[in-house]
Amino acid sequence: MIGFLLDGLIAAGLVGLAYQAVTSRSLFRGIIHFVVFGLTMALAWARVGAPDLAMAEAAIGAGLTGALMLVAYRRLVEDRRDAPVDPGPAKSRLALPIAIGSGLLVGVIGLSALFSDVEPGQAGQAVLADLQQVDLGNPITGVLLLYRGIDTLLEVAVLLTAFLAARALAGSESGTGSPTTQGPETPMVGALLAVVIPLTVLVSVHLLRAGSYEPGGAFQAGAVLAGAGVLLILSGRIAAAETAGLLVRMGLLAGLVSFILIGLTPLLHGGPLLALPGLWAVYFIETAMMVSIAITLVLLFAGGGGLKRGKHG
Amino acid sequence: MVDLALPGIALFLLLNLLAGMLRVYRGPTLADRMLAALLFSTTTVAVLLILAEWMEQPALRNVALLFVMLASIISLAFVGLPGREDLEDGEQ
Amino acid sequence: MTPTDLITLSLLLAGCGFYLAGTVGLLRFPDVFCRLHALTKADNLGLFLVCSGLAVHSGDWRIVSLLLLIWLVGLLAATVSAHLIARHAHEHEADAPEEENELR
Repeated sequence: MIGFLLDGLIAAGLVGLAYQAVTSRSLFRGIIHFVVFGLTMALAWARVGAPDLAMAEAAIGAGLTGALMLVAYRRLVEDRRDAPVDPGPAKSRLALPIAIGSGLLVGVIGLSALFSDVEPGQAGQAVLADLQQVDLGNPITGVLLLYRGIDTLLEVAVLLTAFLAARALAGSESGTGSPTTQGPETPMVGALLAVVIPLTVLVSVHLLRAGSYEPGGAFQAGAVLAGAGVLLILSGRIAAAETAGLLVRMGLLAGLVSFILIGLTPLLHGGPLLALPGLWAVYFIETAMMVSIAITLVLLFAGGGGLKRGKHG
Repeated sequence: MVDLALPGIALFLLLNLLAGMLRVYRGPTLADRMLAALLFSTTTVAVLLILAEWMEQPALRNVALLFVMLASIISLAFVGLPGREDLEDGEQ
Repeated sequence: MTPTDLITLSLLLAGCGFYLAGTVGLLRFPDVFCRLHALTKADNLGLFLVCSGLAVHSGDWRIVSLLLLIWLVGLLAATVSAHLIARHAHEHEADAPEEENELR
């Protein structure tokens, strides 16, 4: 009963926060609502028993995107000083019918999913039985790398493409304002970094290792590591550079290249594509993917092609 | 006994958050609205820890750890926001 | 009800009390610095009490040390966040009501 109330409150809160995030009278309130929406979303994932997603949401939704929006808000305030206030688009008369229609659709699908007793899919059972033999305790990692390898590979490729596209769009003009938010004399930030940065590195390595037997994995670990990078950028310890050094380039490509190379090797002796040759390959690819994901996210946040020592570094 | 009380406590903390959201509406300064987000992150950590115990999902404690580690990102990003003067200087 | 349960429950309830106090302070106190003061202090004590309640309940030293770590990091994050927000509020003290300031 209380569990039901809890879920109802979270669900209603999500809808309310999402509405407020979009329709808030001021941009800043919208951003705060969005950040709080991210936190509540992590709670929702926790309630439906998906800690993997809760971790990703905690690292990306509450940390990275919130900071990204606040930095964007600052740029917007700086840019809009002499621009006339834009009243925004007029409300469409279709808004209400569309909202009701999509609400009904979601409701009907949700209810039919609740009240139909579907047989558990055969494939899922087979995969779970199969994964017992591979010694991977966390079925999610197993499915991501052993069964849906091509999906995971393409996700890493999409991330790299997104970064290249962002670079192409931003060009070299983006180097104007840095996202650093305070002077080097601000007390306590150094102490925070001294504790939190080593801890994030430790925790991301733990998540990576734990990914094989409990919730965690390359994406979560990479997002946490990216969080550390964003902290360093915000405090001015590192900054965006025009071009990437060799190390950054290697890091960017590590995940994709090692996945492709290891995925191609089975073809040499007649095996299928992406049939990973052993557990070591899973660990190797996960580690490389973690580095690539972290570096890509940090570079996207910094808005630069590379990284260098910052003003207060 | 405790396991019966845990969801009730989580529910209480969530209602607490709902009340705290009022501050986002009232403001009046940017810092006031930011405070509500701070309240959210501390309380969400407590709720996650309680859920971890109640639902027997130890991984949720790791989620809570991620939350506290990354909570300061938002505050660090917030400090850079200009106050009113900056805007007025530009408008004159 | 065992003594352990009793200790756990009273710690959790005390934690709830401090969270409630923090929220009341956030809503009722007159200016941003008072609210900051009420919120961060009360909530961190609340988190400590909830953590210790759960620690007594679990009794596993690994969980206890993880809870302790979470509380310590949370304390650090909340302290620095409060400091930074107060700093921002102090620097922009003159512009208290920012209604016209915000971007629409």
